Amino acid sequence: MLPRFDLLRPTTVAEAVGCLSEESVPYCGGTELLLAMRAGLYRPSALVDIKRVPELRGIRLRDGVLSIGAATSHRVVALDALVRGQLPMLATVEQGVGNARVRAQGSVGGNLCFAEPKSDLATALVAYEASVSLTSAGGTREVLVSELIQGAYFADKEPDELLVSIEIPLPGDHDAVYLKYQTMERPTVGVAVMNDRSGRRCRVVVGAVGEVPVVWEGTDPSEVVPDEIAELVDPVVDLTGSARYKRHVTAVYVRRALRALEGSHPS
Amino acid sequence: MSDVPRPLKIAGQSVRRRDLVEKVTGAAEYCVDVTMPGMLHAKVVRSDRAHARILEINTGEALAHRGVVAVVTAADLKPLFPRFGHIIADHWILASGKVRYYGEPVALVVAESLADATDAAELVRVDYDDLPAVLDAEEALAAGAALVHEESYPATADDSFKILAGGVHETDASVEDRPTNLAHEVTLEWGDVDQAFADAAVVVESQAGYPMLYAYAMEPYNAVASYGDGELRVVSTAQHPYMVREDLARVFGLPLAKVRVIAPYLGGGYGSKSYTKVEPLAALGSWVTRRPVKLVLDIEESIYTTRVDSAQVQVRSAFAADGTILARAFDIVMDSGAYADNSPLVLAKCVNRCFGPYRVPNLRVRGRSVYTNTAPASSYRGFGAPQGNLAGETNLDRAAEQLGIDPADIRRRNLVAKGESLLPGKRGMDAELVADLDMVVASLERDRRDEPGYGIGFGCAASDAGAFPVSTAQVRIQTDGSVTVLSGSTEMGQGSRSLLAQVAAEELGVDLDQVAVVQSDTAITPYERTTGASRTTTLVGLALQRACADARAKIRQMAAEVAGVSPESVADAPGGVELPDGSTAGFGDVVQRWFGGSAGEVTGIGLLRREGPTQEMPPFWEIGMVGVGVDVDLETGHVVVDQLVTVADVGFAVNPKAVEGQDLGAATQGLGAALYEELVYDGPQLVNANVVDYRVPRMGDLPRKIDLMLAERRDGVGPYGAKGAGEGTLNPIGGAVAAAVARAVGRWPTRLPLTPERVWRLANGIEEDD
Amino acid sequence: MIEAVSFLPITLTVNGVEVTRVVEPRTLLADFVRDDLGLTGTKVSCRLQVCGACTVLVDDLPVSACTYLAVDADGADVRTVEGLSDGENLHPLQEAFVEKFALQCGFCTPGFLMMSKALATENPTADRAEIIEHLEGNICRCTGYRPIVEAVECALARMRKVPSE
Repeated sequence: MLPRFDLLRPTTVAEAVGCLSEESVPYCGGTELLLAMRAGLYRPSALVDIKRVPELRGIRLRDGVLSIGAATSHRVVALDALVRGQLPMLATVEQGVGNARVRAQGSVGGNLCFAEPKSDLATALVAYEASVSLTSAGGTREVLVSELIQGAYFADKEPDELLVSIEIPLPGDHDAVYLKYQTMERPTVGVAVMNDRSGRRCRVVVGAVGEVPVVWEGTDPSEVVPDEIAELVDPVVDLTGSARYKRHVTAVYVRRALRALEGSHPS
Repeated sequence: MSDVPRPLKIAGQSVRRRDLVEKVTGAAEYCVDVTMPGMLHAKVVRSDRAHARILEINTGEALAHRGVVAVVTAADLKPLFPRFGHIIADHWILASGKVRYYGEPVALVVAESLADATDAAELVRVDYDDLPAVLDAEEALAAGAALVHEESYPATADDSFKILAGGVHETDASVEDRPTNLAHEVTLEWGDVDQAFADAAVVVESQAGYPMLYAYAMEPYNAVASYGDGELRVVSTAQHPYMVREDLARVFGLPLAKVRVIAPYLGGGYGSKSYTKVEPLAALGSWVTRRPVKLVLDIEESIYTTRVDSAQVQVRSAFAADGTILARAFDIVMDSGAYADNSPLVLAKCVNRCFGPYRVPNLRVRGRSVYTNTAPASSYRGFGAPQGNLAGETNLDRAAEQLGIDPADIRRRNLVAKGESLLPGKRGMDAELVADLDMVVASLERDRRDEPGYGIGFGCAASDAGAFPVSTAQVRIQTDGSVTVLSGSTEMGQGSRSLLAQVAAEELGVDLDQVAVVQSDTAITPYERTTGASRTTTLVGLALQRACADARAKIRQMAAEVAGVSPESVADAPGGVELPDGSTAGFGDVVQRWFGGSAGEVTGIGLLRREGPTQEMPPFWEIGMVGVGVDVDLETGHVVVDQLVTVADVGFAVNPKAVEGQDLGAATQGLGAALYEELVYDGPQLVNANVVDYRVPRMGDLPRKIDLMLAERRDGVGPYGAKGAGEGTLNPIGGAVAAAVARAVGRWPTRLPLTPERVWRLANGIEEDD
Repeated sequence: MIEAVSFLPITLTVNGVEVTRVVEPRTLLADFVRDDLGLTGTKVSCRLQVCGACTVLVDDLPVSACTYLAVDADGADVRTVEGLSDGENLHPLQEAFVEKFALQCGFCTPGFLMMSKALATENPTADRAEIIEHLEGNICRCTGYRPIVEAVECALARMRKVPSE
């Protein structure tokens, strides 16, 4: 049984933003929000249902930037032709989020707003250097996903702000892989490697293991030292493992991800 | 039964299970689907402390809430017997004076809607004064430990517990002068253990920890109760409706006949729905409000209602140089939580089962069940066997390694032979264990891979199963020759509804679709002691065979009367009788003609007790023979099950596919305990009282190879030589996985589950706290 | 100004029948179909979206009805296990589940059936690995899963032969 709340149903971003407050929060798929409310962790007096705002849905390519509406479901992203063609790693990540029901219900924006530390999506987006667009009555600001995710369940987003879209700059000639180690309901560690050959940049992002994704940056995958990346992470100790174990499997999965990256590009 | 089995037509066929059709359409009624006219809804207010004195319960605000009809507390229990429990009636329906564990029911809010009850439950304020808590067995046994129960409670009058406990000697802690946290202690001893250890070529010592589990029957505990006019009617998720009836009759001071308990289809049981759970709460709500009350727990509440006993077991075994067992000594400590429930019997069974189906000339077992300020523990599939078997089998595997003997050979050398005694005074072994083991090992070896990180393991178990052999069954033969079977045994997924129809159809020679089966309504169906201990096929099957024979005898008598011939001259025929002139008459004809007016019905009654084939205890030995092959990712410690091999030594499979289903299901639950499942307390509260963090087997964990074999030697006392199934396969899985992982990584584990981190640490020799 | 509402009317199609009710926003679809419509075939267990028992189809997509607001089904086509068969014959998935003993207690079964129905719509040629991947988010405590995989394989094969399903 959920606690009592009221419902608001705006149809434009402006209306939606006008509804938001500390007590009145955005609601889309509910896969995070409703669980938190049922657990008594969160008790807003009203939910602002943003599913009826067309501007918040869909995937567009504009000036080399792929824009994903915040209310778009994981399933739609996973199956989208643009995403599969331009950012196949992201499509794979989205195909592996939760289960088929969560993918059909849950939205990409909700996933980021909750700053769920075991989010596959956040790790992948940080690897792509994606940002989000946050709108409030006072205007719109762009924030890198790596900066949006401030801590476990703590995003840099004010209560009166609405996450409108995710903006992913399309890399040039690149390879990317995401590999996760998952033995329970959520991943123990997720490793994204993004090798932008045309820009001579390589990013390794390790998520799920700590409160926020950790980023290593260089020019080429050959420079990556998995054990050093494992030292960068600050593991959260939980039922999936101790800090020592999580550091260890971080190194193992960075190594495996690099191997997969080699395999993904027949050179 | 008879030495020359008659040809069977329906028994032994993998017939379509009749309950499955209504389950796939959504039409099947489970308790959670049941409503009663004018029904209220209840929500439990639970303790948020492990151990605390209750100073005050403020119900005013909740009572003032919209829709609330009553807020029930321990104060309302005064006119009633306030506790339940079939062995020790120690379980307060609502915490009285103090709370003994986090999650204990303190008050019950009863309202017009579930929403109202839920909202109002948050308004009940309880003031506590915290008491020191004992949160594990070691703490609870320490000198000067805080007491979970200051008072002792008299045992109930049910003496079958002592008979079921078997050869063990009991020291009932409750009768001692000074109360301690020892809920129950049992010992089992024979021979000269100390001398045997002194004479041994090799002594092997080891320990094993079995995790605290949750059965996770997917339908949570729930009940609907209606009290009125001196009668109580309860529909609930009870495996044993007759046992629940006894508890409820005692609580409300009602005659047994005025308490009606109905168990519809159960959404899983696995032992966790044995005995009384939420029925007294729902009944109390109805007793106070005089309206029907429905109480449905959620999964977290269900976890805090009944979990599985965890165990720490120390083992020492003495061997001759050739691997012959000379002596074994076990010390078992079970964490049984705040109330006894069935843990005394789980403990006694663990004591009987820990040393395995082996010839042990000298034995000493001490078992202790300990009260702690944690959720109460009780029965779970396998019933003490998984906890004990892990310890015994791992010790045997380590001995084989030390002695340089093949682990199959050390078992072959020590397994009891058919007819040989395993427990003094008990039924001799009714199975061929070496032959079963050979089937397992041959299958495993066929697909074993000789590479790093791969290991195989196997294990043997024999349980004194079947529970206390009291069963009654009825068949009612209708005017058209169709048959109604009545049984107090509950259908919880194991397939008894289908199986009982098969037995009746076979015995009466009627088509399967002419048989209806009605189960588990104490007002309608005849007495059944329990649905557990894998007893239904064997014991209910026997009672039903007798009911069919009784009906047939009555029909022969009636046919003789109608035809004017002697009863001895009337013979049985399929679906009817054969008269001396060679003509036949169907059951329906005989019934109609005897009563006249196309009316009537004939009831056959079958009674089973401890006599004849079921005099000796146990009614049968439930065998567990399993093997696994595992692939360990040596870098992460992640274990993948490559092979799962089982032998169901069931004597005779009445429905072979159903037996396979039971075996795979039990083995899969065993794999859960071996690799993933463990309830974890951090302070007074569980950190994983939910199915996200309590990780059960998933479809992706399916073993690559599954080989489910049947051994049908018709050596059981049940119908057609059948013995029980459904639990055996779970019992030795833990030890088999432990051995397979040990052989894959080179070190022996001392506890389950073998989570990736534990296996990684094991492989690398890193201590758990390092 | 958008108005906050505490009760609202919803109209949806459930198993082909149009229904209109007034509900609180907090009403969950699982409770709505079970308690308001009396369609108790849908079962609820974990309430955390991980066991899959409460799976129903909303516009052909599987959702966890335990964590899905009834108001979100306003205007939608909802299908529960009661709407799987045509009322005369079992749906091929139901038939295969019975034949293969793919259930015991049956409490998880409506969820497995509706998930499998979604798979049959989206990927009728799913192979064993794809079936397992799709059903990984559903828990069964009785069967050990293999019979379920076999039943879905069998049903998909039969449905391919009879394209009308």
